[in-house]
Amino acid sequence: MSFIILKRLRNQNSSLIINNPGLKIHLYTSFYSSLSEPRHRNSPTPIYNKSILASGHVFLCNRNNWFSSLLREILNIPCVPVSARLLSSQAAVEKSTSDGLTVEGIIANGWNIYDENESDWKSHASAIAQSIHLIKKRLRWKNLIPKLETLSDQLSKPDLWNDPVHAGKISREHGSLMGKMKEVDAFEQELLEHIEMIKLAREENDAELESESQNALLTMRRNIKEKELEALLAGEHDSCSCFIEVQAGAGGTESMDWASMVMQMYKKWAERRGFGVSVVDEMPGEMAGIKRATIRVDGEYAFGYAKAEVGAHRLVRISPFDSNKRRHTSFASVAVIPILGDGFSRVQINESDLRIERFRAGGAGGQHVNTTESAVRITHIPTGVSASCQNERSQHQNKASAMAVLQSRLDQLEMKRQAEMNSEHTQSLTDINFGSQIRSYVLHPYRMVKDHRTDFEVSHPDSVLEGDLDGFILSFLSASLDKDEDAHL
Amino acid sequence: MISPRGCLFSILQPVLLRSNPGRLVSRSAVLSSNRPRIPLHLRPPNFSATVADLKKWHIWAKNLVSSVGSTFLDLDNGPDSTLLQRELTWLIQDAFENPNKVSFQNSNDDDSVVSLRVCLDDLYKMWKQRIEERRPFQYVVGCEHWRDLVLSVEEGVLIPRPETEMIVDLVNDAVNENEELRDGLWADLGTGSGALAIGIGRILGDPGKVIATDLSPVAVSVASYNVQRYNLQDKIAVKQGSWFEPLKNVEGGLAGLVSNPPYIPSDHIGGLQAEVAKHEPRLALDGGANGMNDLLHLCHGAVFMLKPGGFVALETNGEIQSKFLVDHMDTETKGSFHDVKIISDFAGIQRFVTGYKAR
Ligand SMILES: C[S@@+](CC[C@H](N)C(=O)[O-])C[C@H]1O[C@@H](n2cnc3c(N)ncnc32)[C@H](O)[C@@H]1O
Repeated sequence: MSFIILKRLRNQNSSLIINNPGLKIHLYTSFYSSLSEPRHRNSPTPIYNKSILASGHVFLCNRNNWFSSLLREILNIPCVPVSARLLSSQAAVEKSTSDGLTVEGIIANGWNIYDENESDWKSHASAIAQSIHLIKKRLRWKNLIPKLETLSDQLSKPDLWNDPVHAGKISREHGSLMGKMKEVDAFEQELLEHIEMIKLAREENDAELESESQNALLTMRRNIKEKELEALLAGEHDSCSCFIEVQAGAGGTESMDWASMVMQMYKKWAERRGFGVSVVDEMPGEMAGIKRATIRVDGEYAFGYAKAEVGAHRLVRISPFDSNKRRHTSFASVAVIPILGDGFSRVQINESDLRIERFRAGGAGGQHVNTTESAVRITHIPTGVSASCQNERSQHQNKASAMAVLQSRLDQLEMKRQAEMNSEHTQSLTDINFGSQIRSYVLHPYRMVKDHRTDFEVSHPDSVLEGDLDGFILSFLSASLDKDEDAHL
Repeated sequence: MISPRGCLFSILQPVLLRSNPGRLVSRSAVLSSNRPRIPLHLRPPNFSATVADLKKWHIWAKNLVSSVGSTFLDLDNGPDSTLLQRELTWLIQDAFENPNKVSFQNSNDDDSVVSLRVCLDDLYKMWKQRIEERRPFQYVVGCEHWRDLVLSVEEGVLIPRPETEMIVDLVNDAVNENEELRDGLWADLGTGSGALAIGIGRILGDPGKVIATDLSPVAVSVASYNVQRYNLQDKIAVKQGSWFEPLKNVEGGLAGLVSNPPYIPSDHIGGLQAEVAKHEPRLALDGGANGMNDLLHLCHGAVFMLKPGGFVALETNGEIQSKFLVDHMDTETKGSFHDVKIISDFAGIQRFVTGYKAR
């Protein structure tokens, strides 16, 4: 019976009390009436329920009158006029359970977070609240509202669609921010609802409902962990596929061998993540390894993750190529280029600006030669940017692949140019110098991989070289967001 | 399941064909005895081997590759070990049912079983033939990737060259300029595997048709097979016969004509890399004393076959032949063509001559 009532409550959206005086009273009333009426008829213990409601009421009233305004003052949170802007209200209004528990409150309670298998609702709730907190932080929650307002203002301008590309960009960004806000909102709501359910189930001694709600909390805990990662990847191009490019540093065979180890590391990393991997271009070294190589990594958020790898990677080891067994230091540089999807404006390439060459084509060609080699290099003459591909099985496909790399390179160049023109531009990830040293892999005299940007380190280089990179990537992504984001929550 | 004998036979077949190149057979007999070989990547995965055995094979194959180094390259401009290494990867791609799921690096799955399109013995034989006999890779796997097509090839048919891909682009430009050509009748003379005919067939409009001809019965059967594979049998007619002979009833009616005829001077053929000289059909390569016999024949024929405004594109040996041909068109077939051009391939060699039949 209680289950049915709760379902009804849920539908009326009244189990949550919103921290706005007018709204609150309304919801509270409906909550009260819908709950108390059937209860009087069917439940032998109506008093108990009333007391919860009463205490919640008192607490919330108090809080609303002075506590929350004090809080706002202390934290210097601007008071957004709720009725005027529906958008803002979603973010600014704090949700709570009937007895006044909020998401921030859960965090403040500091409930212990145990392993997922421990069926302790407080632990689940605490973990979820932490994730919500992180997601908000990563989304720059506080910046989101003014940003959304600016975007809505722009969207409502009548001449917006005179520039369809710009308009498309604005409306896409608006849609995506709205989506993210709604999602977080829904998470908060869901969390509090589950907690409410559990409390009521306990009061009702409804074991079935309690375990049901507990399971729902656990499912939510798992799902939101995923979202937490995704929130790291909120950059405009993060969801794109990408090219990863590795180039051997100075130092001949030793470095070329290292470059091929680095490339191998990325191939394995990408495969583990379930991305599609294909080699586009590979220039082998004379003795061993590669001079440079480009792979294409296809999948959602490939660029978002891989961009964390841009920079120089340093290896220290006893060289297998040195007969005197001396210690060597080698470098390989990594570049990452997003492959912009259809939604983005891309650089227009003029066919007449291209020089297409077949390379390593010696001799007379044509019927004289039978070779499976059909590598193509395309140069964009005005910029001097070029791209080549040799791993496809036909010249036509090599040309198409090289063209795709060239397009992405030119797009990236253009993005950079625009970012530099933009006065708000702060240093972005893609600007990180191709040559700045980001990580060391030491195989001798001790064994360690250490990221110089985050100080994240592990003592098992082998697994890292086998593609176990997520720790490095995630710690870098969170660190780079956290750096300037703490202030934004 | 296929018996071990069947397995052996699939390997020996090309050898048998090669041992008797000069045989004269009647057309019908050839067509029936010449069921085209199914390319490796299209064969059913009826065989299997353990990862451990395949690892052994792979190590053996890689060692064979390394032992080549640059000897073939130095000897006759043949493939070096980098190229052969890539071919080995492609062989795996074609021969394994799920090539991406197999890793030779992990040491723990040695006992797992991999589905193959040939038996392990044949994998050894194939790679041996590639390295020791210099059998072209495309004959080994029975296909050539050309443009966005995968064409079946086998001994007796020229393996289409990357350079030739550009003729389709030239035709594409021509039909873009003149929609009338898009819907007309085209001819690919000496079609070999059918590469040009299929490439062009796919860019023509609905009413557009292609006639593909070849003197070689093997080429005719392989081209027909490829045409069917791309479901173009209603658009492309493959006919056997010498140059214009099968086209007598369409004289003056062609919207376009393309050909990559044999153009290598007879006495150069012996010096070509082994893959070409020892394995590819001489009929597809030998253009007579100066290599121009067929090109000149085609140039003259084009005058009669094309309708006014019709487009012609011919592949040549390079600068000398291209210039010779243009000269010839200016003098011998004076006034018959306009807008005659020489176009270079991506290696910068003056490879193609194009023009339009005068109106
Ligand atoms: C260089 S191959 C070109 C094959 C194919 N068009 C390609 O580009 O891959 C020349 C072709 O002309 C054919 N051929 C040689 N002499 C011929 C003739 N007299 N009549 C028709 N075809 C002939 C050969 O059999 C061969 O298939």
